[in-house]
Amino acid sequence: MDAKYLALAQMAVGGGLMGMAYALVAYGFQLTYAAGKAVNFGQGELVMLGAFAGISLSGIGLPYWATVLGAMVAGAALGWCIERVAVRLALQQRNEGWILLTIIVGLFSLSLVENIWGRDDRPYPTPWPAEALDFFGISVTWPELAIAAGALGIMTLVELAKRYTMVGIAVQAVSADPDAAELCGIRSRSAISLSWMVSGVAAAFAGTVIGPVTTVGPTMAAALTLKAFSVAVVAGLDSGFGLVLAGIALGVAENLSGYVLGSGWREAPGLILLILALSLRPQGVFGKKIIRKV
Amino acid sequence: MLKVENLRAGYSGDDAVRGISMEVTEGSCVALVGANGAGKSTLAKALCGLLTPRAGRVFFDGKEITGLPASEVARRGLSLCPEGRRVFGPLTVEENLLLGAYPRLPSFGPFRRAASGDLQQIYRMFPRLDERRAQQAGSLSGGEQQMLAIGRALMARPRFMVLDEPSMGLAPLVVKEVFEAIRALHSSGMTILLSEQFAKIALAVSDRAYIIERGSVVLEGASAGLAENPAVMAAYLG
Repeated sequence: MDAKYLALAQMAVGGGLMGMAYALVAYGFQLTYAAGKAVNFGQGELVMLGAFAGISLSGIGLPYWATVLGAMVAGAALGWCIERVAVRLALQQRNEGWILLTIIVGLFSLSLVENIWGRDDRPYPTPWPAEALDFFGISVTWPELAIAAGALGIMTLVELAKRYTMVGIAVQAVSADPDAAELCGIRSRSAISLSWMVSGVAAAFAGTVIGPVTTVGPTMAAALTLKAFSVAVVAGLDSGFGLVLAGIALGVAENLSGYVLGSGWREAPGLILLILALSLRPQGVFGKKIIRKV
Repeated sequence: MLKVENLRAGYSGDDAVRGISMEVTEGSCVALVGANGAGKSTLAKALCGLLTPRAGRVFFDGKEITGLPASEVARRGLSLCPEGRRVFGPLTVEENLLLGAYPRLPSFGPFRRAASGDLQQIYRMFPRLDERRAQQAGSLSGGEQQMLAIGRALMARPRFMVLDEPSMGLAPLVVKEVFEAIRALHSSGMTILLSEQFAKIALAVSDRAYIIERGSVVLEGASAGLAENPAVMAAYLG
């Protein structure tokens, strides 16, 4: 194959694998939006916190898998907290205060991280072999593969749990009709809490697989929130595995535009995607009217 | 079994329920009759915890349940079959039924096995639900959805059922079918509070009734007597 095309293909594959991570973070948006009609605009900060939690655990000598597990537990706790402090009250009063509040929690955690861990990017140590795998001339590194496998694994697990456990079916019921779910004895608030915890787990896990590829630092957060949000808006906030496709598409577009147009253009596709999606859905992403009936 | 004292409830603005007191004894079927907008549904929601009453008290089995969340009220054995049916459209018929039994099913374990006895009972009662068990609830006809809503409420093994406007939006023939099911439930010993705007059919299945107008009880008594009262029949014909 022509060297130029090979380089393009290499860029596309690397971007696509990274795109799976965007899909996973976007999946976190989808989970909380389905259950409680709100999302965490500090989701990228949650990814960063998960990565830093993992790095700290590895600093005290824990093996990689244990750092991933620890980060996931931290993610669950953080997701629960965010729903409690920033979202629940606003939703009970049927206003959109959660948008600003989740952004504030994100900014708060950003400065917390800068104060505890500093502003420098750090590597996330992994036990993966350093040499890359070769597929027809395209090299794929182990951490990149871990992103793809981990993202698909987590999403599949959660989707299976939603369909084949009573708790999962109850969460679906809450997202379809919270009042009717309450009448079945389902505590809607607990179901919403649970979905925020799972969303936190997804974000923190994303941190532990993105970290080894990109290194970990305070700057990773904002960009991730934006990209994942574009992916979620394009794929639909309600449900669906379209997320994976949208995520891969964004990852590929980023890498290719960075390669073809110059590295300054790398972030452009995500923003263009978001602007397009929002202008094609003029009612707004959250523009559902609340109808009350006496 | 259910006692309501001077209940006031509503959404924004004026109270839709303006000081209603009522009682339902164990094993009876009591009807709430009134025109659209008389406050029946608001009352039903306030009883079941979907709406916090502004004043007054609700007792169930001698214990106060005023202001408890709906999930708690449901867990105590008071099941509301809501106005407009409110089935979970994207979920299957069987999942809807299983959700009715949610509090007693294992969260992660083999829930279908745990509920199979109750499911069989509901399917015997409504064979059409059995035929459509794997279908999305949203794709059912109005009458089938009403049966599903009743079935879902029954899956909770309630000791008391509130049926809110079970005839709403249904063809006359289907209404008849639904009320046959309600009558059968009553004769099996279930305590029922039936909110219904069609006075004739509501008075025919109930033992006692409260006639409600603009949020207050205007008449109460034995259903048979009310059905012969020309003023009631003139005002609430149907």
